[in-house]
Amino acid sequence: MKTRSYIILAIVLVLTMLLAACGGGEPANKLEAIKEAGKMIVGTSADYPPYESKDEAGNFVGFDLDLIREIGKRIGVEVEIQDMAFDTLIAAVQEGKVDAVIAAMQATPSRDEQVDFSTPYHWQMDAFIVAGDSAITMTKPQDAAGLTIGVQTGTVQETWVLENLVPLGTTEDQIFRYERVDQGALDVKNGRIQVLFINADPAAELAQKEGLKVALATSDTVDSGQAIAIMDGEAALKTEIDRILAEMEADGTIQKLLDQYGIK
Amino acid sequence: MQDLAFLFSYLLQGLGVTIGVTIIALSFGFVLGIGMALLRVYGNKLASTLAAIYSTVIRALPVVLVIFILYFGISRIVDLSPFLSGAFALGFASTAYQSEIFRGAILSVPQGQMIAARALGMSRWKSIRYIILPQAIRIAIPAWSNEAAIVLKDSSLVYVIGVPEMLRRAEYVSARTLEPFIAFGVAALIYFILTFTTNRGLDYLERRYKLQM
Repeated sequence: MKTRSYIILAIVLVLTMLLAACGGGEPANKLEAIKEAGKMIVGTSADYPPYESKDEAGNFVGFDLDLIREIGKRIGVEVEIQDMAFDTLIAAVQEGKVDAVIAAMQATPSRDEQVDFSTPYHWQMDAFIVAGDSAITMTKPQDAAGLTIGVQTGTVQETWVLENLVPLGTTEDQIFRYERVDQGALDVKNGRIQVLFINADPAAELAQKEGLKVALATSDTVDSGQAIAIMDGEAALKTEIDRILAEMEADGTIQKLLDQYGIK
Repeated sequence: MQDLAFLFSYLLQGLGVTIGVTIIALSFGFVLGIGMALLRVYGNKLASTLAAIYSTVIRALPVVLVIFILYFGISRIVDLSPFLSGAFALGFASTAYQSEIFRGAILSVPQGQMIAARALGMSRWKSIRYIILPQAIRIAIPAWSNEAAIVLKDSSLVYVIGVPEMLRRAEYVSARTLEPFIAFGVAALIYFILTFTTNRGLDYLERRYKLQM
């Protein structure tokens, strides 16, 4: 009988734990906590070169990661990179699993409700990619309405399509969502979708590699810059990051990194 | 050729995580799964109902959701590393499936076995421990081998919370080289070898411990 009650207790504990979905957050000030720990844990999604990826030796490389490492250096702490799925990043920073997120993430209003953003460190362009032999020509982003279009899940491009192309007649079953952009590129190549709508920087390389072409590169679809996400309400950390970003802008570090990775 | 050799060794560095997660999840699920199966079959009303609810609820949830619940929900109370959160989440999920496997196996041991054991003066727990379970576990092996293959492949889900197992490493390579077929093809081959060896091992156990009746 005794064994059995232990087992029951264990099950009850498990169930309570599963139900316990709310609780308190981390105490005190994140900036102080980072300095105390001597390291800043930064979340990213390392499948998006040239912003973030892993090189052959298994090191995290890319524009974003060099940028955040420099920020860490100027705060005086080490930076530990934690790779996870892009969709998971916002939740991870909200839960304090990571101290900051840098992932070519644009500071959109809806994301801004969930987390705090630094000042933008880069304004990107978007690109529409079509098959190499495609007859589609585009002069403005709205020309993509009514075409089968691919986007990366959880990205601003996906939101843009929903907000701007759907009212123009694109139906839900014409929108294809991919976990990663290279999967979308394959589908353009295979003719399963007509256009792929992604960030312009990986677009050029992707198009060249897969024999596709960029039908339109534009900044008309972009209304927020890329910024570093931190936990909501961490004013001290935000101020510190913003200060360093301004400093890096002024001393040319950001431009140097952009040039190094061939990002416009 | 050299690229392929590099790719193999690069992906194999994620093998430890894949195997680690799988072994933790399967053992966890094995112990709790047998416990819950026993509660379902021999427990009192309350215990068997609780075990049944657990199994129903967990099997209704996609495994990736269980991972999220454990990593983002529970870790507010107990701070688990991503690796352990992922392994335990898969373990909780596997518990539900394994409890069904063992419940079926226990039920398929003829009832006369229990009656005979009790008639010989064994206690209920002793009859379960020495008569029912040894037979039930043998019966469960084929279904369990299926579960082992599923957990092995589900272990790739832990990447969502940042554990770089084999499939995630294949994604790194695919993102860098833009050659998804090669990266994922090699990953598929490694998964096949793993599943194949596991299942052959379990086949051997099944034959080795087959009851001669």
